Amino acid sequence: MDIIDLSAVPASPNNLESFLDQLCDRLALDYASYAVIAPFSDAVRGYANYPAAWKSHYMQRQLQNVDPILQKAALSIAPVDWSRFERDRSFKTVFYEATDFGISPQGLTVPIRGRFGDRGLLSVSRAGPQREWERLKRNIMPELQMAAVHLHDSVMRMSAPLSSNQQAKLSQREVEVLQWVAAGKQQQDIGDILSISPRTVEVHLRSAREKLGALTTFQAIGRAIALGVIFPV
Amino acid sequence: MIYVVDALNAAEYPELLEDMYRLRARVFHERLGWEVVVKDGMERDCFDDLDPAHVISTDAAGRVVGCMRLLQTTGPHMLADIFAPLLDGEPPLRASTIWEATRFCVDTNVLDRGRARNSISYVTSEVMIGAFEYGMSAGVTDAVAVIDPIMDRVMKRSGNGPYGYLGSPKQMGKVQALAALMDCSPERIARIREFAGIEHDVFSPLPEDVVPAPFAA
Repeated sequence: MDIIDLSAVPASPNNLESFLDQLCDRLALDYASYAVIAPFSDAVRGYANYPAAWKSHYMQRQLQNVDPILQKAALSIAPVDWSRFERDRSFKTVFYEATDFGISPQGLTVPIRGRFGDRGLLSVSRAGPQREWERLKRNIMPELQMAAVHLHDSVMRMSAPLSSNQQAKLSQREVEVLQWVAAGKQQQDIGDILSISPRTVEVHLRSAREKLGALTTFQAIGRAIALGVIFPV
Repeated sequence: MIYVVDALNAAEYPELLEDMYRLRARVFHERLGWEVVVKDGMERDCFDDLDPAHVISTDAAGRVVGCMRLLQTTGPHMLADIFAPLLDGEPPLRASTIWEATRFCVDTNVLDRGRARNSISYVTSEVMIGAFEYGMSAGVTDAVAVIDPIMDRVMKRSGNGPYGYLGSPKQMGKVQALAALMDCSPERIARIREFAGIEHDVFSPLPEDVVPAPFAA
C-alpha cells in the first residue's frame, strides 16, 4: 500500500486525516471517517475528511448520540452497508442532514474489534449509481478491512495506558515464517521447509504483519528485526 | 435455508436462536461430552454475549439443523482464550481478514447419511457455503475453525478439506478437537456447491424492514 504508514509517524489527528484522504484517493471514495468507541466508557473519538461545515454541524447537534453508524454498526462482525439501517428517526436525522452537506448516504462501515473490548469503525461513502457502488464494494473490501485495522491499532497506540502490552504477541510459526522471508525464501519454499501449505504460510505472514502494525511484509521484516524477534540475514 | 443472525437482527429471530442453542446443547453437551454450560436445555457461553454472527441452517419444516458461530480474530475469540490449548500455548492468529468459526455442528439425530436434502453432508455444506459467502462479502479471505475429527472427515470427503491446521489436536470430552484453516474463496465455495449439488442462493430473503434498495425514498 503506497499509503501513509501510521505506525511509522505520530498518530496525530493530522496524520489520521491524511491517511483518510489517501484512502479515498486510492479507492475512489468520496469521504472516509474513523471513530473509536472506548471500552467501558462508550466515549467516542472521531476523525474524518468531511467538509468542515458538516463536522461542526454534527458536533453542535451532538449527532453521535443518534448516529446509527455508532449505535449499530459496532454490533456487526461484518462491514455494514448503510442501506441495512432502518429508516427510522435517527437515520433520517443524521443521513438526511448529511445529504444537505453534500455527503452521499451510499456508504458502509467496517467494524474492527480490539482485544480489550475496544471497537473501531471505518466508514466510507461514495455517490453514484448503486450498481457501481456494489462493484466497488466487492473490489475494495479486503483492503478496507486492512486499512480499518491499521487505523484502529494506530489510534489505540495513542492511548498511553494500553500501549505497553498493546501489541499482540507473535507465535513461533509467525516468527519462523518472518525469518525465512527475511532470508529471501518464497512462500512455496517456506511451506516445503516447514511442511505446511503455501496458504498456511501466507496466513501466518498476514497475521504477523497486522500484529506488527505493518502495511507491507517488507515493513514487518524491518520491525521484527528492530524488535529483536528475528535476525537480519 | 441459511440465516445469518447477529446483534443487528437478533430481535427478529428469537425462536431461531433458541432452537440453535438447543441444537448446540444436544451436540456439544450430550453427544460430544464437552464441558459446556447448559441451562433450560440451551448451550450458551460468554462469547455469545460478544455480538458474534450465527450462521443457522433450517430444514424444510423450519427446524434448526445446523449452525456455526463467527467472531473476528482481532477481538476476543475462543482460540485466544478457552481453546488456547489447541494452539499448544502459542498466541492465536490475528488479522482483520481472518474470522474464527466455532460451535460448528449439524443435527445427526434428524439428518440422514447420503447426499440428499436431509443429509448430514448437505447441511454441513450449506452452513459452510453460507459462512464462506458471508465472509467473502465482508472482505474476509480465511477462517480458522474449531472442529472435531468427524467434521474434518466430512469436509475432506466433500472436497472441502482444510488447507492446514494450527497447533495439535486435543482431547475434549469424548472426541478430539482441532483448529483447521480454510479459505473463503470462490474456488472452495464452487467445490462445496458441486459436491452437494447446491446451485441456488442459500440465504433466506432479507427481513422486510431491511431496505436493500439505494437510499432514495
